[in-house]
Amino acid sequence: MEANLAHASGHDDDGAVHSHISSAQFYWGIFGALVFLTFVTVLVSYYDFGSANIVIAMVVATAKAGLVATFFMHLRHDKLFNTLAFLAAFLFLAIFILLTYDDIGRRGEVDNDYGGTIKAQTGQPAPGGEPATTATSDETAGEPPVEGAPEKKR
Amino acid sequence: MANVSEPVNPGKGHAEHGGDAHAHPSFLAHHFDTPAQQFNAAKLGMWVFIATEILMFGGLFCAYAIWRAVDPAIFDQAHHFLNKKMGASNTIVLLFSSLTAALAVRSAQVGKRKLTSIYLVITILCACAFLVIKYFEYSHKIHLGLLPGHCFGHPGFSGAIQNGEEVGTCLRVHADQAAGTPEWVRAIDEDGHVQLLPPRSNMYFGLYFMMTGLHGLHVLIGMSILGWVLVRNMKGQFSKEYFTAVDLGALYWHLVDLVWIYLFPLLYLVGKPE
Repeated sequence: MEANLAHASGHDDDGAVHSHISSAQFYWGIFGALVFLTFVTVLVSYYDFGSANIVIAMVVATAKAGLVATFFMHLRHDKLFNTLAFLAAFLFLAIFILLTYDDIGRRGEVDNDYGGTIKAQTGQPAPGGEPATTATSDETAGEPPVEGAPEKKR
Repeated sequence: MANVSEPVNPGKGHAEHGGDAHAHPSFLAHHFDTPAQQFNAAKLGMWVFIATEILMFGGLFCAYAIWRAVDPAIFDQAHHFLNKKMGASNTIVLLFSSLTAALAVRSAQVGKRKLTSIYLVITILCACAFLVIKYFEYSHKIHLGLLPGHCFGHPGFSGAIQNGEEVGTCLRVHADQAAGTPEWVRAIDEDGHVQLLPPRSNMYFGLYFMMTGLHGLHVLIGMSILGWVLVRNMKGQFSKEYFTAVDLGALYWHLVDLVWIYLFPLLYLVGKPE
C-alpha cells in the first residue's frame, strides 16, 4: 500500500503523471469475477430464501460495484480523497433514504396536527387523525376496508 | 502556488520556451504547475461529479426502497413481466464494456494509440448492443400495455382503459362495485402465466421505466463521450504523458456500469420465485 501511495501522490520530482498500470490479464481476471458473481446472483434468484434473497442480491451487487470501483475505476491506486468523495455520496444517500423511510413510516402517527390521517404502512387510521377515506384504502389494500380492522400487508 | 515569484508571461505559456526551468507541454493549462497536478485536479472533479450522479439516481433508489417496503406484494408479482435472461445478458454486455473501457485506459497509459481506439470502439459497440436489447424489452412491455397510466390508470382518467376493455394483452377485469371486488389488470407475463395485477402495480412499472430510462439516457451520453474521446485519440491528441480524457471518459462509463449492477437485481431478481 505504501508503495502505491507513493505512485498516486504525485510528489514525484518531475511532475509528470505516474499512474499505476495494471496488466491486461489482471483486468480480465476482474471481469471473470464479475461474471461469476452475476451468475451467482441470478442463480440465487431462482430459490426462495425469504427475506434473505434481497440481502444476498445486495451483498453480491455491492461486491461487484466494489470490484468495478476499486480496480476498473482505479480507486485502489488513486488518491484517497477521491475514494472519500465517492463514499460520501453513499453516506448521504443512506441518510436520505433512512430519513425518508422514517418520515413515511411514522407520518400519520406524529403529525396529525398537520393533516396526517392514515398510517402509510398499514392504511389504518392514524391515532388522533381523521378517518381514512375509503378510496385510499381501496387503492392501497385491494380489498374493501373493514372499519377498524387492521390490514396486514405481508 | 510554487510559481508565485515567477514572472508572468502572458501568451507565452504554450510556446516552446526551452529556456524555462520546466517547459510547459502543450497539454498543460496555464494555471497548473505540473501535468500531475492537472491530472489529479481533473480526477477529483470527475469523482465529485460521479458523487452527484449517484445522488441523482439516489432519488429513484429512495423511491424504490420506500415503495418496496410499503407494498412488497406488487414487486413480487409484477417482476415476472421482466425477462431475467435479457437482463442478465445486458449485465454481461455492460460488464464486458467496462472491461474494454478499462483496457482502453491501460493502452493509453502505455501509449498504444491504435489499441486504445480498438478498445474504445468495442466499448461503444457494447453500448449499442445494450440499447438494442433494451429496445426489445421496452417494445415488448409497451406492446403488453404496461406503460404507467394506460392499463393501470383510474378509469376516470382520459386514456385509461375501462373495465372489460382490452389493450394489447392487458385486460381490465370488471370490478363488481356492489360486491366490493377490487379491480385487476389481467396480463400474460414472461413465463406465459396469466397474472392478475392490482392497478397499483403501476408503481413497479413506473419505477422500472424511470430507473432504466434514466440509466439508458446515461448510456447514450456515455457513448457520445467515448465517441468524442475516440475521435480525439485518432487525431493523436493523447499520449503516455497526457490521457486525462480517456481516463475520465472511462470513469463515466464505469459509473453507468455501477448503476446497472444495482438496477439489475433490484428490478429483475426480486425474490419469491413461482
